[in-house]
Amino acid sequence: MTSPSDAQPPAAPAENGGGANGDGLAGRYYGRSIPYLPLEGYPGKLIAIEGTDGVGRSTQIQLLREWLEVRGYGVVETGWTRSMLMQPTIELAKASNTLNKLTFVLLYATDFADRLEKEIIPALKAGFVVLSDRYIFTALARAGVRGVDRLWLRNLYGFAIAPHMVFYLNVDVKTLIGRVLASRGMDFWESGMDLKHGDDIYDSFRAYQNKLLREYSSMADEFHFRVVDARRPVDRIQDELRKNVAAFLEPAERPADRSAEGLVFQR
Amino acid sequence: MTFSLLHATDFADRLLYKIIPPLKAGMIVLADRYAYTAFARDATRGVDRQWVRELYSFAVRPDLALYFRVPIDTSVDRLLARRVKLKFYESGMDLGWSTNPVESFRMFQGKVLDEYDQLVTEFGLEVIDAAGSITDQQRVVRNVIAQHVQITRMELSDDEPI
Repeated sequence: MTSPSDAQPPAAPAENGGGANGDGLAGRYYGRSIPYLPLEGYPGKLIAIEGTDGVGRSTQIQLLREWLEVRGYGVVETGWTRSMLMQPTIELAKASNTLNKLTFVLLYATDFADRLEKEIIPALKAGFVVLSDRYIFTALARAGVRGVDRLWLRNLYGFAIAPHMVFYLNVDVKTLIGRVLASRGMDFWESGMDLKHGDDIYDSFRAYQNKLLREYSSMADEFHFRVVDARRPVDRIQDELRKNVAAFLEPAERPADRSAEGLVFQR
Repeated sequence: MTFSLLHATDFADRLLYKIIPPLKAGMIVLADRYAYTAFARDATRGVDRQWVRELYSFAVRPDLALYFRVPIDTSVDRLLARRVKLKFYESGMDLGWSTNPVESFRMFQGKVLDEYDQLVTEFGLEVIDAAGSITDQQRVVRNVIAQHVQITRMELSDDEPI
């Protein structure tokens, strides 16, 4: 309900500078900040692993975490709907059949805000590497598919911190169907049954996940995703993630050593 | 932020179930508090003003919005005369400005009133002096509403009875 007098364009992401994320925003708020939580030179790094349901995110995160910890990094994990405040409410609301697309979006946003304030920001402040199993892009994709205004969504999530790296595990629907059926089977929400594509869960899953994947791909440039081909074996994917993370973290960790090496070379 | 978003969720739920259907049916909806409450309260809690306005951009703009204004002292006196304990969030105790609930209430709600004063001009709220007697206030309210709504006209249903 913006008043006409101060209807102004939404905060456009500043395109200057060059962070690890390529957009100069990494580690800062995407849009309108949380005024009482200024982010000033926090040493921690935020790495988001995105991808649709059943693409193998949690496996990759677990492996990445072990590897990082062995190398001496402090690691904190955070995941969608895992907030202490909101998890029970979201489960209850999903079961009650009274959710509409707007309340769905807002419950997720509340969960995210809780984790941002209570988990992510404190961890970044303390110098941890935060591995986020899904990030706001999942919310943007799911709501976008359900017809929620995309600009409104981006304004809503303006208080999110732009990750230093976003890995997007990309997969095709056919591969995805095989994996999901081989593990836990198709569930109501992951099949988008609320969109009422029909009674057939298989057809609904395929149609819904197809739309979701298109929605994710459309965000790849906007949010500087590093797209990872997730159809490959687990260890191949993990190798790619590690290579990228190492390339990003190591120079950031030891800037002094690097400049010293540079001097030696110049002589 | 979570305080703000939980209220927005509740609001969205009521908007879609309790407000929009009667409006579609041509009824008058009386809302006890509206998005303006969130604008005033969330801003006082330190949330970005423009962000809250954008958050609530899905709300229906009311045809008429009344703001019952009282000085903070009147507000405190009325509540204390009626209730033993001030509510935690109503007093802004979460902000930690004072450990004394009454003192905290006075500070927090004082700032909320300042925010409301800004909203009056921004959104054209109709200010009702709520320091007066109930009867006086109701008379003013009825006058204001009468200018906006034809109450005398009864609309009969167009549908034929089955």
